[in-house]
Amino acid sequence: MSRSEKLRYKYSKVDVSLILVLLTVFQVLSCLPSVIKDGMLYPLVGLYFLIYIAIEWTYVLVMTIAFKKTNFELECIAFFLCGVGMAVTASIYPSGLRKQLIAIVMGLATYIFMIWLLKDVKRVMKTRVFIAIAAGLGLAASFVIIRFTVGATYGAYNWMSIGGFSFQPSEIVKIAFIYVGAATLEKLQSSRSIMRYLIFAIGCIGVLFLMRDFGTALIFFFTFIVISFIRSGDVRSIAFVCVGALLGAILIIYVKPTVAGRFAVYRHIWENIDGAGYQQTRTIIYSLSGGFWGVGIGNGKLRNVFASTTDLVWGVICEEMGLVMGFMIVIAFAVLAVYAIKISKSAPSTFYSIACVSTCAMLLFQVCLNIFGITDIVPLTGVTLPFVSRGGSSMICSWGLFAFIKAADIRTYPKMYKNR
Amino acid sequence: MRNTVRRAYVVYALIAAFFVGLGFLSYSYIVHGQTWVTNRVNAHLYTNRQLTSAGAVYDRNGKVLVRSKNGERVFNTDYVTRKATLHIVGDTQGYIATGIQSIYRSYLIGYDLVNGVYKTIRDGTGNDITLTVDAGLCVSAYNALGSHNGTIAVYNYKTGDVICMVSKPTYDPDNIPSDINTDTSGKYDGIYLNRCLSGLFTPGSTFKTVVAISAMENIPDIKKRTFTCTGKLRTEDGDIICNSKHGEISFKKAYARSCNSAFAEIAIELGEKKLTATAQELGFNRSLSACGVDLKAGIFNMKNADKYQLGWSGIGQGTVLANPCNMMMIAGAIANSGKAVTPQIVKSAGSNKLTELISDFRNQSQISIDPNIAQYMQEIMRYTVKNSYGDDYFPGLKMCGKTGTAEVDNKRPHSWFIGFSQREDMPYAIVVMVENGGSSQAVAIPAASKVMKALKATVVG
Repeated sequence: MSRSEKLRYKYSKVDVSLILVLLTVFQVLSCLPSVIKDGMLYPLVGLYFLIYIAIEWTYVLVMTIAFKKTNFELECIAFFLCGVGMAVTASIYPSGLRKQLIAIVMGLATYIFMIWLLKDVKRVMKTRVFIAIAAGLGLAASFVIIRFTVGATYGAYNWMSIGGFSFQPSEIVKIAFIYVGAATLEKLQSSRSIMRYLIFAIGCIGVLFLMRDFGTALIFFFTFIVISFIRSGDVRSIAFVCVGALLGAILIIYVKPTVAGRFAVYRHIWENIDGAGYQQTRTIIYSLSGGFWGVGIGNGKLRNVFASTTDLVWGVICEEMGLVMGFMIVIAFAVLAVYAIKISKSAPSTFYSIACVSTCAMLLFQVCLNIFGITDIVPLTGVTLPFVSRGGSSMICSWGLFAFIKAADIRTYPKMYKNR
Repeated sequence: MRNTVRRAYVVYALIAAFFVGLGFLSYSYIVHGQTWVTNRVNAHLYTNRQLTSAGAVYDRNGKVLVRSKNGERVFNTDYVTRKATLHIVGDTQGYIATGIQSIYRSYLIGYDLVNGVYKTIRDGTGNDITLTVDAGLCVSAYNALGSHNGTIAVYNYKTGDVICMVSKPTYDPDNIPSDINTDTSGKYDGIYLNRCLSGLFTPGSTFKTVVAISAMENIPDIKKRTFTCTGKLRTEDGDIICNSKHGEISFKKAYARSCNSAFAEIAIELGEKKLTATAQELGFNRSLSACGVDLKAGIFNMKNADKYQLGWSGIGQGTVLANPCNMMMIAGAIANSGKAVTPQIVKSAGSNKLTELISDFRNQSQISIDPNIAQYMQEIMRYTVKNSYGDDYFPGLKMCGKTGTAEVDNKRPHSWFIGFSQREDMPYAIVVMVENGGSSQAVAIPAASKVMKALKATVVG
């Protein structure tokens, strides 16, 4: 038995059908309070859930039968998280359920497409410059468009609407950021190409700053640091970059006090309980009110607070489904990171390895910014909880990013190993 | 490739940071959870910041003082009972900071980390608390104050159980005056203050009790001393006026007749240091705790005082300020042979946690007096009631006590009485403080009499 076969054997032990049955049971139970609410029947909500469950089963069945796939760990985690998000949306904002379902379908499609795209490293190398330029210019253009047409939404220029779907361009660029970053640093590149990546990164982060989307800017910066470190191992340069960024941030705060004002409430939320600390204090109060097991879906109070299905969704889950569920969800991301580091070791090439590790770092970092932001452990930056928060672009981006992790798994492209 | 794999471990640092964050979050939730969940913005428990879902508060006989019913907080059905027990029970908005509904709010709500407030939401109620107070006796005390503001409190000096505590001005929590927070005429001044626990008033002659204890501690032959009262005491800094010309008078009689000349002389002789030391032993200048809260600390600060000022302080005038509950504890300490049991207001609580906590406090003694001195104080205080006020006010009660008519600027004096019954079956100490009530003989004594008689009817029958 070859090494890869051994690994494949080891990994294929988890019985996906059992997991799917459990997921189905969980999703049926979690949608029930929204299907039958106050003695009224809402069949449409039930229908959307049935469609969602059918999508899960269809995906797994098609992949198993037609493509002889055996590993679905990532998909199961994503299905679970999306299901929780669906349950919250169904309960609080049922009219948004259809869009959420469409977003999941689009996300899954993006995921499948990305896996196809990443299969050929040469293709990735060829397209990286194009994608970098498209992403960079697209982000800059969308900023200009939003700046002069839509205007600021909740204090940031990061929302635009196309055909009734509002989305954040920065979410889509996240995928490009990893794609370009990992591809540029795939082989020991000339300093010129590294320079190009640096310019791309600075460009993206700069536009995000102009958009006042500081949370995403921070995520990009962090991911940039991780990618650079893994590629170069040059601690000194990275420390230099970090100090530079810090000075830059201080400069911005100095020049634009309004930026600092946005974070002034940090660690002072209780003194501003009805002002800038409103969301954080409510999140803390209500996430604790439910105890370990929650007050029950539909019985919460955080649902009435602005952004309850997006930024504050974790608080809603804690309140209504319990702290145990809330903690399980975020710990799932940490488990995912460990899993990603493990599979990155046997990735087909450096590109897959870097992409996989930097993706899980990006996702976990975003989870940290989200849950620690809404609980006032770090400043609130208004980022979403991947897969769970309601929102199309966030959902598509999360699925797209998952493709980088999936691509590093030796079972995804088995032929690459045979040829080696 | 190998380096890349190795460096991937940098993500473990992020994972570690994530768990540190999660640990910190859990720690904060465990430590501050109770405070945070019971915040008045929590719509599970409050409506417009008024408490709605929490356990009931009962008096010692199981009479409902407040409880939650149909998503509302309802007080006792009787109007006077509501007003008389308001400062003990506390309002639903938390303005009365020393009320049970404020200090034990989170206990009443019944939060715990595992269940959150799920049970409270489900049942619309939390943990119950039974108090040591008797609602009927509170009504008697409320009526005894008549039209005056002030406070009356009674506690068992052996067990610490507070059986009665009223504070006026007060209001009906079921029909809160609409102008209570906007009025500027002053009729609601200090309405949220429990005068017994949080008030400070000039003690007048009740403070002679403190001076007498200090004298016995510091002047060996004090019991045998006589003083000459000419209607005033001349000092090089000014005269201290007495209420009468007592002539030659013994220490005991000087106390019983409340002779200012004698007590001013004693205070001057004792001096600032010794007087301050005794006052501090008895609770002044430090924060005592009782009924689950920190009492407002009485003030005795005579640093750099001249003889005139010291003389006035010896009769509880000038800058001296006393807390009524503290004065009651001093009376209780004397009655209990020198050991003051801390007054407590909670008899029992649904879960034992709170009851245990409170019984710990009960056994703490925050004031102590030498047993021999306490013995003698009992004697002269008994003598005082018998000879100066008359046992008719307190029939069959073996009452001991001391009045005070505390002069205040531009207003009628505060009318005080502190005392206790020596009956084995009625070990209760009382404080009466009628704000600007006038003469203590005319106001405080009759009020104390009414309450003590009602108490006797309640506990002895």
